[in-house]
Amino acid sequence: MLIEPQGQSLTAIQELERSTGEKITDCYQCGKCTAGCPASMDPPPSVLIRKLQLGMFDEVVSEQSIWSCMACLTCSERCPKGVSPAAIIEGLKLIHLRDMDPQVQAEELGQEFLAQSTQQAVVSGFRKFI
Amino acid sequence: MSSEGNIRVPYYPGCTLKTKAQGFERSAMECSEALGFVLDELKDWNCCGASFPLTKDNLMGLAGPTNVLIEAEKHCQEHNVAPSVVTLCSFCYNTLKRTSHAFKEDPSKRTTLNAFLERDYQGTIKVEHYLEYLRDTYGFDKLAEQVKVDMSSIRVAPYYGCLLLKPGKEIGLDDPEEPTILHDFLDAIGVTVVDFPAQVDCCGSYLVMREPEKAMNLSSGILDEAGEYGAQALVTACPLCQSNLDKCQRSKTSTKDGLPVLYFTQLLAMALGLSTENHQFEDHQIDPRPVITACGIGCSEKSE
Repeated sequence: MLIEPQGQSLTAIQELERSTGEKITDCYQCGKCTAGCPASMDPPPSVLIRKLQLGMFDEVVSEQSIWSCMACLTCSERCPKGVSPAAIIEGLKLIHLRDMDPQVQAEELGQEFLAQSTQQAVVSGFRKFI
Repeated sequence: MSSEGNIRVPYYPGCTLKTKAQGFERSAMECSEALGFVLDELKDWNCCGASFPLTKDNLMGLAGPTNVLIEAEKHCQEHNVAPSVVTLCSFCYNTLKRTSHAFKEDPSKRTTLNAFLERDYQGTIKVEHYLEYLRDTYGFDKLAEQVKVDMSSIRVAPYYGCLLLKPGKEIGLDDPEEPTILHDFLDAIGVTVVDFPAQVDCCGSYLVMREPEKAMNLSSGILDEAGEYGAQALVTACPLCQSNLDKCQRSKTSTKDGLPVLYFTQLLAMALGLSTENHQFEDHQIDPRPVITACGIGCSEKSE
């Protein structure tokens, strides 16, 4: 395990910070984001951020839990250090989506789902998963 | 429509209000007319994009809402009204308000978007939620004077969700953790308010697309809590919250009757003594009419 980000991991974390506008090292691990997260993310936001601080980029970017974030912004609202965990998580998602790695297959969405869902759910879902 | 002489309020509906949440739009329109103002729909609008991009480098997601704001500016100039636009959907409100904020506070985003869209928008439009308009422009005190029906027999839990309030610093509608605007609205129209802890919890939102069970569990938890605190119904300002909260009750066993989830404008219409025949209640999983009628409140199919 790396204690300080180095090499490719450092570059990836710096790119994530550039993309999101957040500073990973601002987090001092109070855990308020995790305590308030309604998505029961496992690992939760504060652990994802701690791992990024330790340079474990590859492990964090492939965590499934990032896809459970609903961008409710409770974490970002409560962070005493002004960090937005939701933005960091969206930055991680975008690494997949920009690399053509969708997490929902549009063609597999059932007709029933499309017929019953509100437009805002479908448009948001496309933005967050595809 | 006898709208002559009425105040005309620039209005952006968004996609869901024209399809799945028509009852929300119609009830808001009918209430407005009864209160003496008209929701004046923008002529040429597009989808707001539904979710505001959270990363700093994702400007494409701002192009849609920027176009809406530009259209609103054009509308306000043509109609000679103050530069503002009112929305009903929490998602539209959040996206448009945050985009407007970005135009005002972030010169680099403003320059890039204007260059991309070949426009010169300066962030002049004030984005307002219908609730905000009622509170700040119309006034809850004046609203209370318009109430025709005694609503005190129904106990309603105000449910805010997330995007109507957060991020507090940019939205600024109310305290993002302990809001009161829906409480105050319900007080004004004489409804008995049930204060419950899950009022700002997330309903599961767009997770219905990828992990529907998790989303439904979140919605169920909110309903259970509202029920435990004695609510007979919930009110919301968001079509996705309405849909998630309403739908998660479909699969429940019949041990519970379920809690109807209404738009705040539907309750307002009842308080104003208006007909609810256009409110699309038949599309709700839990039809609110039996509960409302049982409380002795007229839920008339025809006015008067």
